[in-house]
Amino acid sequence: MSSSLQSLELLLAFLSRSYTTLETNFYKIPGSAVVARYVKSSHQNDPGRTLLEVILIIFAIRTLLQSRTRGDQSGKHFIQFDEKEIDELVEEWTPEPLAQPLTPQEQADLASVPVIVGPTGPKPKLASGKTVINLASYNFTGLAGNEEIKASAVDTLRKYGLGSCGPPGFYGTQDVHIQLEQDIADFLGTEAAILYSQAFATISSVIPAFGKRGDVIVADRGVNFAIQKGLQISRCTVRWYDHNDMESLEHVLETVEKERKKRRAPLTRRFIVTEGIFDNDGAMADLPKLVELKKKYKYRLILDESISFGSVGRTGRGLTELYNVPASEVDMLVGSCATGLASAGGFCAGSHIVVNHQRINGTSFVFSASMPAALTVAASEGINILRNTPSILSTLQENIRAVRAILDRAEYITIPSHPASATIHLQIRWPTLQVPMHASNSSSNKPSNPLSVKPRDPPQFDVELEERVLQDIVEEALSQGVMVTRAKRLRGQELVEVRPSIRLAVTAALSRKDCEKAASVVKAAFAKVVGRRR
Amino acid sequence: MSSSATSSSEDTVLDERQDFTDGLSYPRTPPTSSQVFTTVHSEFGHCGNEDYRYTSRHRAGTPYESYPEQDPPYYILLTTYISYLLVICLGHLRDFVGKRFRHVNYRHLLPWNGYAALNSDFDSFYTRRLKLRIDDCFSHPVTGVPGRTIMLLDRYSTDYNKTMIPTGTRTRALNISSYNYLGFAQGNGPCADAVETSIERYGVSSGGTRLEGGTLDLHQQAEALVARFMGTEDALISSMGFATNSNIIPGLVNKGCLVISDELNHASIRYGVRLSGANVRMFKHNDMQALERLLREVISQGQPKTHRPWKKILVIVEGLFSMEGTLANLPVIMELKKKYKFYLFVDEAHSVGAMGPHGRGVTDYFGVDPNSVDILMGTFTKSFGAAGGYIAGKKAVIDRLRIQGHSFTYAESMTPPVLTQVIASMASIMGITMPAEKPHSSPSLALLRSSSNEATLAMSEADIVPGTAPASALPSWMPLSPVMIDGSDGRHRLSRLAFNARYLNRGLRKLGFITYGNDDSPVVPLLLFHPGKMAVFSRMMRTRQIPIVVVVVAYPATPLVTSRVRFCLSASHTKEDIDIVLRACDEVGEVLDLKQAPGERWPVEEIISRAVEIVRAPKMP
Ligand SMILES: Cc1ncc(COP(=O)(O)O)c(C=O)c1O
Repeated sequence: MSSSLQSLELLLAFLSRSYTTLETNFYKIPGSAVVARYVKSSHQNDPGRTLLEVILIIFAIRTLLQSRTRGDQSGKHFIQFDEKEIDELVEEWTPEPLAQPLTPQEQADLASVPVIVGPTGPKPKLASGKTVINLASYNFTGLAGNEEIKASAVDTLRKYGLGSCGPPGFYGTQDVHIQLEQDIADFLGTEAAILYSQAFATISSVIPAFGKRGDVIVADRGVNFAIQKGLQISRCTVRWYDHNDMESLEHVLETVEKERKKRRAPLTRRFIVTEGIFDNDGAMADLPKLVELKKKYKYRLILDESISFGSVGRTGRGLTELYNVPASEVDMLVGSCATGLASAGGFCAGSHIVVNHQRINGTSFVFSASMPAALTVAASEGINILRNTPSILSTLQENIRAVRAILDRAEYITIPSHPASATIHLQIRWPTLQVPMHASNSSSNKPSNPLSVKPRDPPQFDVELEERVLQDIVEEALSQGVMVTRAKRLRGQELVEVRPSIRLAVTAALSRKDCEKAASVVKAAFAKVVGRRR
Repeated sequence: MSSSATSSSEDTVLDERQDFTDGLSYPRTPPTSSQVFTTVHSEFGHCGNEDYRYTSRHRAGTPYESYPEQDPPYYILLTTYISYLLVICLGHLRDFVGKRFRHVNYRHLLPWNGYAALNSDFDSFYTRRLKLRIDDCFSHPVTGVPGRTIMLLDRYSTDYNKTMIPTGTRTRALNISSYNYLGFAQGNGPCADAVETSIERYGVSSGGTRLEGGTLDLHQQAEALVARFMGTEDALISSMGFATNSNIIPGLVNKGCLVISDELNHASIRYGVRLSGANVRMFKHNDMQALERLLREVISQGQPKTHRPWKKILVIVEGLFSMEGTLANLPVIMELKKKYKFYLFVDEAHSVGAMGPHGRGVTDYFGVDPNSVDILMGTFTKSFGAAGGYIAGKKAVIDRLRIQGHSFTYAESMTPPVLTQVIASMASIMGITMPAEKPHSSPSLALLRSSSNEATLAMSEADIVPGTAPASALPSWMPLSPVMIDGSDGRHRLSRLAFNARYLNRGLRKLGFITYGNDDSPVVPLLLFHPGKMAVFSRMMRTRQIPIVVVVVAYPATPLVTSRVRFCLSASHTKEDIDIVLRACDEVGEVLDLKQAPGERWPVEEIISRAVEIVRAPKMP
């Protein structure tokens, strides 16, 4: 293209020369002065706009002419080297290895990951040959292995093949995708929904699709990793409020508004980002209060229901059903078909405007192949089953209560999770005599700084020690026939270190008795491992 | 479940419009009794002529070449700019008038009631005023297998594409748009049989993240097989191709590292690099001199401001660029790699399966040792007809990525049906070595095959690259068909794809079209330039007597002036299908004044009759 650019430049030079001749001649025409004055005066009425347009044109030309791959030779930090020096520098440079080999601890961690042989479910068989009670895998409503779902998946496979072989924009939108999106929207009661092919990749695309540089996002300090990544990509101005603390939220909203008034900044998009049930600790958001606040301060609400969708509410619709808040009050409701419906993929439900916007701007929607048809139909079938069998959710809640009844008051265990949450996080409660955890001693109740993701008095704990102890508990439970897992986190990559925990995922597919048995095993394992350390 | 030549009616649900004449559902010339085809013609075309085969391979000793990017005549460039200018002006005019007289339609684009617009009128201008005009060419809903043909769900719009209304009718069209390179998009055949068995056995759920109770034996088997397929020590898989890049690159590089990225790299790579926090520099697409210049600059300058040396430099390129049809110039990059000590990441999303004599991707095509590339990434969405992606490389690196990438910790793992499709299609390309004793003879054999420890053992013993899949590495319950075992199915697919790719690339050139890319590339971009021609081209192809669906792309996926149509070839296409495409392009290209390339031209019938000669010639005749 460069040759054409050169000739374009020539053309431009020619044009500007002709323009000057034209201009001088223009004023020779009778009456021309009137026209010129008219243009000038209209410009005077709205000079901002003219200026803006001129800048736009210059900017457009600049971007067109500028090569995207330009180096920064012109920068003031550039050092001039001759070829020989460069050769020497190249010779000298030794890169770090691409990846550090695993430490023995990391190797052990990786090796300790249980492998299920055959189908997953409430009582899978492990590679060791043992059949265990499964409180680790996500299968809240017991849809994994459902025969109806299998049958419709096979049916679909025969009609559609497996892969969709294309992104949604290019013949990857199949009728089954449209159907599932409709099913989700109907199930939740929103206008529309959009399907992403991986749940984890959903919200990290949804947030940057709407939030751009300069927009304001007020987020909970305890949000999950996917949201953190979405915030990072969006480049929005992020303000933080204390984990699940509505007072703190209101305080931050007020500060942001004050700040804006003070700076007389223009109106930008504003979002509250939080989770329904938090992935990190199982706490539950107070949705009615959230909705009240977002309306009062004119924010939009992005709610991640990846855990709560398919696990709470009368039929599993999630927080909106539990609190009886119309789903249309949540501007962007994100959920997971992989976790909630035992299939694959994630979704964002909302108004037509919200959904259609993502069809062009949701990066991982646009640039990725759509979900395999068989899995899509499996998810639709899952919704059908949930809708028609409310008993599944009541069984699940009974099982949760059964587990909590045993663990709630257990020695050595603290549970930060909401009583209705199907994920139950078990943190270590150290015996009082031996406190590796420094209780926060500041008594001031001054609020945390919204600019920083760190809370004012962060709880202190020894990540390494606790993870090791918890892993011992996991293995102890496994030896007693109960599969549980630590909540795995990328230490050092999370914005705030999350307190280590064991994450139980309760399922409706187990009998109450099995749940009680499993909970007792876990309780005993805590007692044994933590107690032993006294 | 195999079907004979005349049993395409198995495709019952989809075949409402029984049309015997267009050659889409049924072959035009019925097969003779000596030919037995086991595929459904509408999914995977019947092609018995062994002349229509070729091997995708770079000729050793020659430099890599792709068609030089050609500028069209000036009047084309000029009118292209003018047409953009025109729609932009018209769009602004309509916005201006609309905002004053049809306020309600604009409300969601303007601040309202104390809320800033979700998507302001300015931000959405391009979508509303340019893309919307030709929205009938995008996101067309379909049904059925996206194989050799595809079933379109017809639709129309009464409000200039704002809403699309389905008519309820369907149209079967020739599909040269899906990423179905090896034709594994099939509802019938050995792979589908394997997947069906797996769904019955495993269901569709894998139950969570890999590290938290979502690891099945199938994951380990698939990972071992991928490593074997690629010829690397180890491999990991993730449930989405996009996320493979966006979640794994942050595990490789971070602050203090530099990523050098081809300017046309896929969005997922850019997304991953941005998450990683590493510095990024880009070089002009496939320009090896620019890459070397950049390398010299960045190594000598070190990190910005501090001039500290970089911790590491990672060069990321795509094996086959999905919008250009160009291949990474691997031979030169390997030379540079030796000298400049950078690490190399090759995204083989489109090239794995589709390139090389054994379908192992660009390394196979160029005859480069796969172990000399640090990271081989690829997806299963394309050639394998599945979903998700993989990373292959040294064991230490892969293990580190298992622990440090985001996928294993946070993302749901791949589901059993997808894993099975990956295993079955890959085994089909590789061929399967059965154990020395007669298969299924001893009862202990099934035991042996089911144990994954045995699988890894068997993998390490024979290190011929490209290796076959030892039966012990496959799930014991998986039905194996004879064509999978002897690898003939895979070879058949590879050689047909190679022929089709070369035939269409060279055929279009001979017709006088400007195309980009390499002769052997199954991705064939044909340059249209004018934004308006995209819509017309797409509509003319779709409404032909034998409808053809095509993908048209423009800015921002391509530079502003080089709007194009992109064909994706498949092993499932027959030579007749390519003939149909060539004839269609010839006619439409004449009407739209697209034949702008210099050089000798042949009439379309001559190209069709001399197809084999065109394909086999080392240099284009
Ligand atoms: C180069 C490249 N990488 C990654 C991807 C993403 O793959 P998937 O569709 O499996 O998410 C694509 C898909 O278009 C691609 O072209």
